[in-house]
Amino acid sequence: MKRIRNILVAALLILAMIFAFASCGTDGTGDGDGDGDTVEPEVDEQGNTVVRVMVHVDAKSAEGIAYQKRIDAFNRAYADEKIRATIIYKARTSGASSYETELNTMRLEGTLPDIITFDAPNCASYAFSELIYDITDLVPTDVQNDFYAISLNTYNGRLYGLPIQESSAGFFYNKKIFAAAGIDVSAYSVENPWTFAQFKDVCARLKSYLGDGKAVDMRLDATKDETATYLLYPFIYAAGGEFTSADGFTAQGYLNSDASKNGFRFLRELVDAKYTSNTINPTDFFTGKVGMYLSSGWTIPDLDNKYPDTFASRDDWGLLPYPKEVSAASATGSWSFGLTDNGKADKTPAVKLLLWLTSAESSKAITDTTGMIPARKSVETNYAVGSPEYTLLKQLELSGRARPATVAYPNFSTAFSQIIYKISIGSVDDFMATIDTQTATLQREMNSKK
Amino acid sequence: MIQPTYLLAAKSSNGSAQMIRSTLIIALVFVAAFLVLFAVDLWRKRGKRDGYRLRSSVTAYLMLLPAVVLAFIFIMLPILYSLGYAFTNFNLMRPEKTMNDFVGLANFQRAFEEIRDRGTLYHAIINTLKFVVGVVPLQIGLALGLAIFVNRPKPGVKIFKVCFFAPVVISLSVTSYLWLSILSPSETGLLNSLIGIFGAEPHDWLRDPKTAMLWIVILSAWQGCGYQMLIFLSGLTNIRSDLYEAASLDGAGAWQKFLHITCPGLRSTFVFVLVTVFIGACRVMIQPMLMTGYQEHTVTLSYFMYYTGYRDYSVGYSSAVALLMTIIIGIITFVQRRVLKEK
Repeated sequence: MKRIRNILVAALLILAMIFAFASCGTDGTGDGDGDGDTVEPEVDEQGNTVVRVMVHVDAKSAEGIAYQKRIDAFNRAYADEKIRATIIYKARTSGASSYETELNTMRLEGTLPDIITFDAPNCASYAFSELIYDITDLVPTDVQNDFYAISLNTYNGRLYGLPIQESSAGFFYNKKIFAAAGIDVSAYSVENPWTFAQFKDVCARLKSYLGDGKAVDMRLDATKDETATYLLYPFIYAAGGEFTSADGFTAQGYLNSDASKNGFRFLRELVDAKYTSNTINPTDFFTGKVGMYLSSGWTIPDLDNKYPDTFASRDDWGLLPYPKEVSAASATGSWSFGLTDNGKADKTPAVKLLLWLTSAESSKAITDTTGMIPARKSVETNYAVGSPEYTLLKQLELSGRARPATVAYPNFSTAFSQIIYKISIGSVDDFMATIDTQTATLQREMNSKK
Repeated sequence: MIQPTYLLAAKSSNGSAQMIRSTLIIALVFVAAFLVLFAVDLWRKRGKRDGYRLRSSVTAYLMLLPAVVLAFIFIMLPILYSLGYAFTNFNLMRPEKTMNDFVGLANFQRAFEEIRDRGTLYHAIINTLKFVVGVVPLQIGLALGLAIFVNRPKPGVKIFKVCFFAPVVISLSVTSYLWLSILSPSETGLLNSLIGIFGAEPHDWLRDPKTAMLWIVILSAWQGCGYQMLIFLSGLTNIRSDLYEAASLDGAGAWQKFLHITCPGLRSTFVFVLVTVFIGACRVMIQPMLMTGYQEHTVTLSYFMYYTGYRDYSVGYSSAVALLMTIIIGIITFVQRRVLKEK
């Protein structure tokens, strides 16, 4: 009896699975991709058309407050047109991917706001998945032309997002330590970048002065989020490597090419020579224990304001560009605004807010807060020649290279982080094999998206 | 809060109709299975003319119903949908276009290729095995030792009970961050400060492939053993004290009493603890996620599935790995139960 009962239950469960498969499979064409959906505009009690924008920062952060001010100004300016903007803060408090997960959840729930911020390298992935909307024909050409070409978020030749700011990174250095160690770097500039060999020479002298692993904080430990990828990918370009084919669907032969491996090998040599290490405390540079610190423009406000004991003024620190080997390359890419494909037929109010948030005025207001570079050419910068901001801006113009535009960008980021993790461990591990296995994994993912 | 993928997919604009339809079909079949069980049970009692037994059966099934409904929604449905997704190219970024994109065994082929090429999945399996092999004996041993320690009628024992149980009630996230500060790679980290007293260089404990998983095992065993201690404690109180008294009269030492009275007396408790700790260990995710992030030396199967599904959006592939994992855990648990079956 017991056996019969078990057989019956098993048979019914198998039946359920078959039904489930059949049910899922019978409608292979689906109902389309929602292109035909028309969601009515959201209108509040006062008759205003509500436009919602979601940003990735905390409401209390300086950047969050700056966004709120721009939203308030928009609401005042468009009161007569009966458009009201509201802002949703979804701070990336638990890692970079938490914002994306939230975004994805909202998309699946059908609660996407009209405008979102997104990290520039995700543009291809978001556009491919129709999360963000093609705005090529919605943004006037003169406005498009006012942005740095490298900053515009394009995919397959179409425009999908507008940046409010740009970024570039470099090596912040402690001038007192350099002077004490007898190091002169005045000859190195964006126009005349140092080479990999010269970079290692400076590191060797810093190591002699500061001890093992204290020459430079390469941020090899920052693999839990996008930070390590953002800061370290230019080294691969600088060594003559690439990450993917132009269409973004082939990694095999690019990410694991000899030239790319040379870039990774250079990073590994820094670890093996004990010029850098994972045991550097994130604040060691700011407290004068480390000679150089690889970071982006967001570090400038910290150096200006937070560590007067080490850096009393700008005379105490400087900024050096990325070193080059085969060609010069530097980090670019920041967060952008894009319209979502949320089914609303009338995009006009959202476009007005998008243009407002990425206007020269907004760009100036935000970059003054964040220390980043404005993405629009018309924004008055007035950076003094030789200043850190000038170095970053010049570097962006002369050697900025974007991260690979691939629909499998999240997987690329994972693969890159895994390789950097292996590099950071040092001589105990063979990181070259990891480059090949990660490339193979990435290629499989790309193949599934073709 | 992260919602089950199948619920999210159900909410998507055009996924909802299909999802509701298939969910209803599964629900109907499930209800039918439940009714069959019920009917078979009643049929067995048909000739006994025992009204009380019939009534009690009906009452029992009615009382079971809420649990069955919850189990259906939160266990059966996700499993069934995951099973279905394992054969599709379901990508969370393109749910409408990929949810029904049937790819046959391609996801399984991809999984086996990744294992063959020693990709991240291979490391996830190895790391999970390492974790299971490390944490199961350590956690059960610690729990048993602590249970025996606090099972003595000595003053102050209750304080120890509370102390040993405290890590269980603290969130895993909190304990993970606590251990993160202990194991901080900088020279100001607690452990590095301690070894620094003896002149040792600071060490990055959680990035070193030789020590990372070891510390995750230690943290997990420390965090979880309090719960198993309570279970062992209840098992110990069920062992008759006169057995120990008789053994003492016969001149048995503490070790002999443990070996010949405590161990046999705890056999069924031990089997339960072993199975639950084993299954829990196979599903480890939070500790490596918070302590090291997605790294080759600490990624586990559950973490791999979560990351592949939610970070890389490949739900189809993630579901295939989940299915493989379920089969493997099921087989091992079955073997465990067979081997440790009461003679």
